[in-house]
Amino acid sequence: MNVAGIGVVFAGGRGINNYDDALRRGWMSPSLIELPSTQNKTFPVYRIELETITDKEFFWTVRRADRFSKMAMIAALDALQDSGIVLDDKKSSLGIIVATAFGPHVTTFRFLDDILNYGDVNVSPTIFSHAVHNAATSYIALVLNSRGPTVTLTQFAFSFHQALILAQIWLHEERCEYVLVGSVDECGTVMNYICSRKLKIAYDGRIKPFHFSASPVAVPGEGSVFFLVARGKCPKRYCEIYGVSGFDNHIEEDEPDMYILDADGMAGGETKYRNEAASDVKIAGYAPLFGSMMTGSGFHCAVGALELKNQIQYACPVQDNPYGANVCMVTKETKIDEISCIRYNCVHERAVIILKR
Amino acid sequence: MNVVITGIGVISAAGKNLAETLDTFQCGRRNAGPVSLFPTFLSYPVFEVKTIPQRWQKYEMRTLSLTLCAVEEALNDAGLQNGFTGFRVGVCLGTSVACQLNDIDFYRAYRDKGVAPMDSVDRFLKGNLAETVARTIGVRGPYFTVVNACSSGADAVGVALSWLRSGICDIVLAGGADELNRIPLCGFGTLGVISDSLCAPFDRDRAGLNLGEGAGILILEKEAIAHQRGKKPQLYLAGYGSAGDAYHLTAPRPDGTGLETALRKALAEANITSRDVCFVNAHATATRDNDRIEGMVFARVFGKDIKVVATKGFTGHTLGAAGGLEAAFTAAALREGWIPASAGFVHPDDEIPIIPVRSQTPVRGRFAVSTSLAFGGNNAALVIACLENHDL
Repeated sequence: MNVAGIGVVFAGGRGINNYDDALRRGWMSPSLIELPSTQNKTFPVYRIELETITDKEFFWTVRRADRFSKMAMIAALDALQDSGIVLDDKKSSLGIIVATAFGPHVTTFRFLDDILNYGDVNVSPTIFSHAVHNAATSYIALVLNSRGPTVTLTQFAFSFHQALILAQIWLHEERCEYVLVGSVDECGTVMNYICSRKLKIAYDGRIKPFHFSASPVAVPGEGSVFFLVARGKCPKRYCEIYGVSGFDNHIEEDEPDMYILDADGMAGGETKYRNEAASDVKIAGYAPLFGSMMTGSGFHCAVGALELKNQIQYACPVQDNPYGANVCMVTKETKIDEISCIRYNCVHERAVIILKR
Repeated sequence: MNVVITGIGVISAAGKNLAETLDTFQCGRRNAGPVSLFPTFLSYPVFEVKTIPQRWQKYEMRTLSLTLCAVEEALNDAGLQNGFTGFRVGVCLGTSVACQLNDIDFYRAYRDKGVAPMDSVDRFLKGNLAETVARTIGVRGPYFTVVNACSSGADAVGVALSWLRSGICDIVLAGGADELNRIPLCGFGTLGVISDSLCAPFDRDRAGLNLGEGAGILILEKEAIAHQRGKKPQLYLAGYGSAGDAYHLTAPRPDGTGLETALRKALAEANITSRDVCFVNAHATATRDNDRIEGMVFARVFGKDIKVVATKGFTGHTLGAAGGLEAAFTAAALREGWIPASAGFVHPDDEIPIIPVRSQTPVRGRFAVSTSLAFGGNNAALVIACLENHDL
């Protein structure tokens, strides 16, 4: 399937052009926040600022939406706009698939606040209705007036991969003509606390994708990325998502021109990435730009799509390279025909998103 | 390619397996009572599962326990209790509550002290429903959990159909599960859609839903795989349709066009017309809006004489489990040749052009439909077929 448009909401801003600029600029330091549990150390996190997810055009429609829904909605709208495709007469031919690892947990905790503060009877119906995982998908459909099929799905390490597989099938079986497929996750106060307890935090703010460590460091992130994918021709084509290999769904893998590694400290030991690093293939990892996320694969997929479209390799934002791997060190024009985005989960299962020019 | 249903597993307040559930349906028992699973001031009647077999209680995650109980029954029914060697097996399950990090004790501790024990977080991180089931039964996927609110279970079955037809799986465990939980009880309560008495789907005097819990699992497989395993399947999953309302976060589109589109897509995918359908198992939550719109759409699509059954009078609204449970009930009814009375229904509503069955009713025919509607404007329809006396 072809990538016809991309929308990104990340700590560096909104939109694929901003994302391209950020990739060219290199490492961006995360925000530093106070966490009571981290003993006076400031806690690094890639946070989305409020103005990034404020859209005047849809202000009234989404006035009650939470940050989670707004991030997803804006990334999805931007993907459609970026494609240049107008869907006015094809409302039912757009599918929407949203992947998330943790869902709108900030809103869930706000609802728990209501229960704890006011008791079981006096809770807010608005907060409750936004605490369901598919609220974000619903907002996307609402602002686009899209009546096609929608699925919100959750899984921890490979939710974005699963979403891509489903999008590909929906297009193939002609359930819809286009699919907006993407991921969204947010990192609120409680999640920061959980991350501080469960992850090894990079207090210098630098995720190190090429340390291939058994106990890698992480900087929690949040954001959303969406792709408008289509089976046929599209005015602005980035690349082809050739397929997703993994689980029991094996696709013959050619040697790509580049491996993009999802190593971000989020999914346990990263020693398995040494397999890819041991090849002669160029390797890259851009998590230090947007943060550690279970759904980070979507952001890497967006980098790969830009690299294939623009025939450019971006320098890796953090280049620590103790194993002397063949890391992308400079941003330069180069011929790229195929990129494999690699992710291992905490039990070392591997999944690959294969992108072709 | 035909997709067959070779196994059914259910657990709800109506019974801890299919046989017990059918018995409850026949007797018209409604096993509702006050909440006993957690402390609450809310006095709404609920449909709790009173007994989960001991071997499935060890996970400290009630939804997972309910799921594994139904999975075991479904696998036994399909003759897959000894494993899946040589087959590519997927797991697609719908839920609502089980995907949320919503442990109130954890959150209270964090809020009060800034620190909290990680036990509940660990359970959550190990407890993604589809992923955990896949690991428990030793299959490699694809697997994910559908979180489309109250249509999750039906949509999970629909995804499974796509997986099988695309060829990425040979067999899929699909359905839905949810536990009774304080959050939806408070949430639906504050939305004003929970009844103080037993729910009455489609009834003139209906006053809202009752919450329930449970799991409904189907074993779906390619027909060729089932034959290869020596099975002679009777039941088929013939079609799935899904469409959005694009209207409101919690209210269904008043003209019902989202549901109608989902139904017509499902019928088209099954390559049948509405006249081929012998009954519809309605979502029928017993809320004012849902039942009125469903009834209106059923009359439009099937005609007002279509046989309609509502089973939430026996199970309560089991949220993410509902689509899985009701798909299972629909398949079982086709096989058994009868549908139960719509428990709770007494008085027809002038605003609803269909009348659900009031007593146990024989059904003869090849095709039946199960519908699901959800928060967010999701509408899903499944077409289930029975081979009895027919060739597909």
